[in-house]
Amino acid sequence: MFFKRQIPLLIVIGVGLLTLFGRFINNEAVRGFVSNDATQWFDIIASFAIFLGALNMLKLQLIKIIKKQKNWQYSILAVGGFAFAIFAGFFYRGANYITISDIQEGELTSVSGIIAEELNESNPFNIETKLLDSKDAYEIDKIFMTEGNAKIFMEKLTPYVDTITLNSKPWGAHVQTKGSLFYWMFINTITPLGATMFALLAFFVASASYRAFRIRNFEATLLLVAGIILMLGRVPIGNLIPWWVVSIMVMFGIGAIAAPFIKKRKVLLGIVGGGIIIFIIAGTLMGWNQTPPAFLSIPIIQDWIFAFPAMAGSRALMIGIALGIVATSFRIIIGLDKSVLGG
Amino acid sequence: METIKKIFILLGSLDRRIIFFIVGLSVLIPLLKPEWVNLPIRPTPESQIVFDEINNLNEGDKVLLSFEYGPSTKPEIHPMAIAILKHLYAKNIQVYGFALWPDGNFMSTEAFSEVSVEFDKKYGIDYVNLGFKPGQEAVITGIASDIRTLYTVDLKGTPINDIPMMKDVVNIEDFDFVFSLSAGFPGSKEWVQYACDPKNIPLSTGCTSIQVTDIMPYVENNQIRGILAGMPGAAEYESLVETELQKMKITATPGKATGMMAAQSIAHVVIVLFIIFGNITYFITRKKKRKG
Repeated sequence: MFFKRQIPLLIVIGVGLLTLFGRFINNEAVRGFVSNDATQWFDIIASFAIFLGALNMLKLQLIKIIKKQKNWQYSILAVGGFAFAIFAGFFYRGANYITISDIQEGELTSVSGIIAEELNESNPFNIETKLLDSKDAYEIDKIFMTEGNAKIFMEKLTPYVDTITLNSKPWGAHVQTKGSLFYWMFINTITPLGATMFALLAFFVASASYRAFRIRNFEATLLLVAGIILMLGRVPIGNLIPWWVVSIMVMFGIGAIAAPFIKKRKVLLGIVGGGIIIFIIAGTLMGWNQTPPAFLSIPIIQDWIFAFPAMAGSRALMIGIALGIVATSFRIIIGLDKSVLGG
Repeated sequence: METIKKIFILLGSLDRRIIFFIVGLSVLIPLLKPEWVNLPIRPTPESQIVFDEINNLNEGDKVLLSFEYGPSTKPEIHPMAIAILKHLYAKNIQVYGFALWPDGNFMSTEAFSEVSVEFDKKYGIDYVNLGFKPGQEAVITGIASDIRTLYTVDLKGTPINDIPMMKDVVNIEDFDFVFSLSAGFPGSKEWVQYACDPKNIPLSTGCTSIQVTDIMPYVENNQIRGILAGMPGAAEYESLVETELQKMKITATPGKATGMMAAQSIAHVVIVLFIIFGNITYFITRKKKRKG
């Protein structure tokens, strides 16, 4: 128990206090610890956490498959995807490239023609120039995922070139190289899947707002009016909405906000209809077609909402969160909150 | 009157599959036929500030470009990365790529390889890609104090001491500007808190639309200089860069965000219309229920 609870707690308290007060102590060693050592410690722990996270995920998914829990079929995909990523990252590099040197005399044009054809380069002269400019070996600007494909291409060059070597990008760097299996997996599976998940939001937002965005009370109305203005104001089409349409929207907005307080519907209808007529007559007389007022421009109203009400709400949230973090951190540092030590 | 009411009730109680279909069409048609919807792009003051800040940098200045986004937010943020790189390369500014998200490595590799070829920029001389390190905020504090304690090699595995443009770079104070391409945590806020504000290094950001309200307080306080807000921000920056490149007589491929704005505009209008129809139906049915 002493090693499981007290020692870790002492470490948390010691490191927490040192990191906190290190900012206020003018000592080279303490500052060095806070700025450099502590961050490196964090990096090391974070690296282990990745392993732990991966193993935990694997364990949970395997248990789900073995026990045939609900939707266990999806877990097969999760484990399969995990195994494929490990294979592509640690066991199969791909990322093969070819370097050539010692081109036989008089065969420069033939070699550049073959390379240009492989690279889909319309002008073989560009390749010829690069071949002439290369002092030592020339690296052909194409990455082959399999050695087999690379060797097929090498055979085409063999009659004209004395030295052809097949190389692979170093381990680690291969992950970011176009033509490696890992890169292929990321671009062709993870990228479209991620984009699809995010794109689905548009459909759900449309459907949910259609069903749930109702003028039920004052707060809901305020949210709805602000939401519509932001949705239109954030996109270029907001600039094209004429002042008279905005004035109708403003009057409907005022009507919607006032609706809970005015019981007689005819009075409400009169206020909204009258307001619209007044706006249109006033706008026509004052020449708003040429220079519409700022308060009837959707992008300007949108800017105002962002600059004032949204900003105030956002700042209030930030201050609240910051105070919460301070309180929680302090409880952890003085040992009152032991949740960080686990069960 | 009854017929009109029935039509509104019908419009307000559409099956969700029909809604999905209409939303899908409203996005697809402008994407497939962008010439049908030609909308003017108006740069907001915040986008203009970002542009001016970068435009005021001098040739040879060093800019830290941080990639904190992945495939899910690529359509919003990646066009910003491309436009920023074009702007920086056109002004012959040295670019240092970092990634706070593991996916950021792929995004940075793609962006650098796309724009560097177009502007004929050399790796290690005009730009370098140092890649991702785990550690979230700790990576930012590491970059703020000593880059070499975190990064010994670049993304390609080359020791950073062998990279010519890394010679004079020790920590964040050696950079003239930081730009954070952010889709969440860790991102722009952390750059403000742990590096740019304490060390007084100018910072701008390009982020997703949903992050804007979180980041705006920093923009209002000038702790972040301007903001490219979501895809509209990307389109605005693209148009500003395009004009600048025309002035500099540089031809470059047009950006993707401008074309996508038509799709987003139409989709927003469709959603607004659905909300309006839904509410009209709600009023009619509520009245009927009360009477019934």
